[in-house]
Amino acid sequence: MKLLRVFLLTCVLFFAGLLVATKAWAFCGFYVAKADAKLYNQASQVAIARNGNHTVLTMANDYQGEVKDFAIVVPVPVVLKKEQVEVANPTIMERLDAFSAPRLVEYFDPDPCATNYPYEDRAMPAPAASIAQRAEGRTRENTLGVTIEAKFTVGEYDILILSAKESGGLETWLNQNGYRIPKGARDLLRPYIRQKMKFFVAKVNLGEYEKTGFQNLRPLKMTFDSPRFMLPIRLGMANARGPQDLLVYLLTPNGQAEVTNYRTVKVPSGPEIPTFVKDEFSDFYKAMFQQSYTREGRNVAFLEYAWDMGSCDPCSADPLTREELKQAGVFWLDSPSESTQPVPPFGRRPAMPSSSVFITRLHVRYSRDKFPEDLMFQETNNREFFQGRYVLRHAYMGEATCPAGRAYRRSLPRRFEQEAQTLARLTGWNIQSIRDKLPRIQVQFFPLWQRLWTALTGQ
Amino acid sequence: MSTFLKDARAYQILFLVSFLLLGIGTRDWTLKPINVLAAIATALVTQALAVLVREWRAGLSAEATSQQPAGESWNWPRVSEQIRASLPSALITSLGLSLLLRTDHPATMGLATSLAILSKFLLRVQDKHIFNPANFGIVAALLLTQDAWVSPGQWGEESWYALLFLGAGGVVLQKVGRWDTSLAFLGSYGLLEAIRNAWLGWSWDVWGHRLMSGSLILFALFMVTDPRTIPNARMGRLMWAIAIASLTFILRNYFFLSTAVFWALFVLAPLTILLDRIWPQASFNWQQTTLPPTSTLSSTSQPVSSLPSGAS
Repeated sequence: MKLLRVFLLTCVLFFAGLLVATKAWAFCGFYVAKADAKLYNQASQVAIARNGNHTVLTMANDYQGEVKDFAIVVPVPVVLKKEQVEVANPTIMERLDAFSAPRLVEYFDPDPCATNYPYEDRAMPAPAASIAQRAEGRTRENTLGVTIEAKFTVGEYDILILSAKESGGLETWLNQNGYRIPKGARDLLRPYIRQKMKFFVAKVNLGEYEKTGFQNLRPLKMTFDSPRFMLPIRLGMANARGPQDLLVYLLTPNGQAEVTNYRTVKVPSGPEIPTFVKDEFSDFYKAMFQQSYTREGRNVAFLEYAWDMGSCDPCSADPLTREELKQAGVFWLDSPSESTQPVPPFGRRPAMPSSSVFITRLHVRYSRDKFPEDLMFQETNNREFFQGRYVLRHAYMGEATCPAGRAYRRSLPRRFEQEAQTLARLTGWNIQSIRDKLPRIQVQFFPLWQRLWTALTGQ
Repeated sequence: MSTFLKDARAYQILFLVSFLLLGIGTRDWTLKPINVLAAIATALVTQALAVLVREWRAGLSAEATSQQPAGESWNWPRVSEQIRASLPSALITSLGLSLLLRTDHPATMGLATSLAILSKFLLRVQDKHIFNPANFGIVAALLLTQDAWVSPGQWGEESWYALLFLGAGGVVLQKVGRWDTSLAFLGSYGLLEAIRNAWLGWSWDVWGHRLMSGSLILFALFMVTDPRTIPNARMGRLMWAIAIASLTFILRNYFFLSTAVFWALFVLAPLTILLDRIWPQASFNWQQTTLPPTSTLSSTSQPVSSLPSGAS
């Protein structure tokens, strides 16, 4: 979580000033201010639990502006009723994040003189540092072609579900009702209207908000059935001034989910890097991600984690409990517990619902020029586990005077150099400044005859 | 030039192997070498066995009808030549499956490949197999197993891949004279997507992004054009390609099927029989001596030997 926080801080997008009435935009839709205000958006997190066409979508935004100014417009595939919208437990996103975040793993080399085994085999893993209702009837605003399909209050949010006949009418309606939507929104609203999508419009009910006692706005959770397995990101890019970050946690019963209209690429994982990175892990991950993002052409979704929810190795946080999974939207857990073992070839999985939950964490850094289309997903039967994992191997720095110990010490400078080069390649950092931070090793020089003698006699 | 290189399949094999290596090298694929090996081995063995069985049965029926003495109809050099001549097709099927089908288990890949090859021998009408073998294998694996999948986004949407595929596909299609099919498919699909794009009001880069998909272009050039399964006459091929493009468009945009192209080809494959009846034309042979008159651009396809059309 710590990493993520720092990480997110770098992805900050600045939007409207007090004088310029533009607004901050977010992932699925856009924030629209109720009044001129300075909004400040960081990154978005979305959890999608999906089995068949049944979908539970939870959205959390790091909204930093005045609560009274918060408003959001999100295209949704169907009309949502009050019972289909809830506020989610604010900690659930943190739990999903902590469980699936890229992680550091530390190993400590043992004393090379202690036994005769090669030291590589005895590296010992250490716990990893983690990055961690007032429902009203249908109302038609006849002149504008905007229909209020549903209107209700959930938690601290006043929610409207709108359908519209044409984008100009919707734009006018939103403006007339105090939602300041960005310029150019009309052109972007039209494709969604034509696809018969509805608009989920939420703003904060201050009275309810004060009653909740929460410091921040809670995530919104919506449940619906739709064959569309997608996230509308286009709206959120209309006024964006730079790339935006989106973390998507896809919870599915069978295997990994992936993006179908962009490439899904694994983040670099498993390299051994210098141990000083432990104190700079967030900088490291940030730089590495940026480097990978640029290298891949800035138009891919990065896979950061893919694992069965029943286990983790190493765990950066405890696996989510059954109750937490339900909070995250997993709805197929009600059947008696079944094995989550991989299915043998040709073997049919038991009929759903089952108790298997597979999590896929995708990190998408998107910008208008490289992501013209909304994100489309599919679940696959790929049960390969993957995690963004970075290895620190602490060298044994104690006295080691035996031959194996001397060989070990002689091997260290080369190992450190390799780690430094790996780090430079991954992050684009200056190799010389990396070298300056490497541990200093005093390697005692032995003449060749002495090394030969040692090799022959073993002393 | 060796006789091997005069066969358009040689180019197809060359290109498919290059794409496989390119994909493994430059794209982030969960492709396991063991699965590729399983696909190739299964395809070659199944093909050889199936040809053997077919010839054996043909021999038996020849004996029964022509009253030949038992054993005389079996001509081993001819059978082995038939097997040898048909193996490149099997190899193409296995390479196509390796490129497109993903699975965790080699056994699933083996099943998909063997069903793909067997479909050529078992599901036939007159002298043609009904389904594109690789397409049949993919659909069979998706339907019958629970550990196979297709990744439509695996190539991304970069233009240089599209150009590469177009270039390579152009060479093969020029040799077999089936460029019209790709053109009709891509043209009609592109047109439908353009109409939808304009109607929805998306900017044109959305359209470009949808059509630049490496997987779509690969499909249009290397799968939908298989001369052994598509209609023989040009008019039939055009109709057929437009039908597949339309169904793909509907499945993708209205049923949200990410693997729409494979289902469209699978469902519409039997239409070939009908189209061949409406527009009759000599069927394609990989090593034929004469070309159908419509295949004007395939004049570089050189004669090799005249084998029975069963050597598919």
